[in-house]
Amino acid sequence: MITFAVFLVIVAAALFQVSVAPLFPVGGAIADVTLLTLFALAFTAGPRRTMIAMPLLALFVAFTSNRAPGLLILAYLPLLPLAYLFEGGHLPLSRYLRILAAILLAGLWARTVLSTGAFIEGAPFAPGALIGDVLLPGLLLDAVFATMVYLPFRALGWTNRPLTLQRTGWH
Amino acid sequence: MLIFSRYTWWLGAMVGLALVVTAASQIGVLNPVQGAFLTVASPFQTGLNAVFRPIATLLSNAGELNDLQDENRKLRIENERLLNQLSGARQAEERVKELEAQLNLSGTLKDQTRLAANVVHRTSTPFQDELSIDRGSNDGVRVGMVVVSANGTLMGSVIKVTGGQAFVRLITDAKSAVNGETVETRSTGSVKGSANHQVVFNFAEPDVKVGDIIQTSAISGRFPAGIPIGRVTEVKGTAQDLSPAIKLEPLVRLSTATTVQVITSFLPQPTGVAP
Repeated sequence: MITFAVFLVIVAAALFQVSVAPLFPVGGAIADVTLLTLFALAFTAGPRRTMIAMPLLALFVAFTSNRAPGLLILAYLPLLPLAYLFEGGHLPLSRYLRILAAILLAGLWARTVLSTGAFIEGAPFAPGALIGDVLLPGLLLDAVFATMVYLPFRALGWTNRPLTLQRTGWH
Repeated sequence: MLIFSRYTWWLGAMVGLALVVTAASQIGVLNPVQGAFLTVASPFQTGLNAVFRPIATLLSNAGELNDLQDENRKLRIENERLLNQLSGARQAEERVKELEAQLNLSGTLKDQTRLAANVVHRTSTPFQDELSIDRGSNDGVRVGMVVVSANGTLMGSVIKVTGGQAFVRLITDAKSAVNGETVETRSTGSVKGSANHQVVFNFAEPDVKVGDIIQTSAISGRFPAGIPIGRVTEVKGTAQDLSPAIKLEPLVRLSTATTVQVITSFLPQPTGVAP
């Protein structure tokens, strides 16, 4: 049942990423629904389901937006390890700041990889536009949306699932 | 560290999967799967568009109210001027038709067969500007076909087709390149997209001025001749410069287009001339 719900969530996320997010750009950046969904899945449905959901969601987004599927998989690859590292590290940060830092770094990586893909495919290299119109507005958007997703969970007293991989089962 | 190593094997597997799907995508193995997914997803995409596009348009217009009022005033003036020109143009058109009939010529833009399509979604980043439309190979759409606005202005060309949908690279995409010419002098150049949806005209002659209209040229065989593309808005450089920096404004508002037309009667026949 949970697995089916996760499947529905990733299909909905792919549709929102491609059909809704581009309608509300900030600068040249759009909300990364894919990234936020995968983080939310990791903390609610567990890391193992997210390990399966990530490539599926990347494929669905690639199908609907005509982007290279392999590039999308690479773009969202560091998300789980980053979340795991920030969760387990000895940083003097609150839980919110740890999650936010992981999301911002993963978002930065994803936007850089996707833009690099565009350069490789023939778009003229424009570092100014990349930084000023994609990466910086992207950081802002990720921070705002991550906070909007996190705060309701926090208000409900939610504690996230640990991202440490157990030996067996869908944890 | 032992625990992290379990993520390590997953990272390795995902890199491998990325390479496999990239190869599969390049040789077209994934096309049937993509087509099936789009067939199922298309109604939902259309529904989401119908709900959220009006909200986005409202927000966008609210932020650009002064610009829109200014644009409206300019368009009213231009409309009056164009209406005055129209009557003269109609007479000229009739005259051209008579002469073409006498010379047994055909092939004007009005002979083109066009297929109307709805925009399903737009992928817009500073380096990518593409549309997907609800017509595909089942409707006769092929890669390379030219896409124009409802009023016949160039929007882009088809770069990928599935059974029920097609993807269109817009002229504002950073990878777009179209052979163009000035309506006034018929001197040819290359209309290219650049970062942030700018369109530039690489032109080797210095006699272009602000306000000139650029249209497609048939020189590369990729586009039929005479489709309006845009208006020159900025020319940087002196009359002595061989290659002044020329910016264009597309004649159609690409960001708000909801319907397009695919020219199905024209298939590109590359001549080897690079755009």
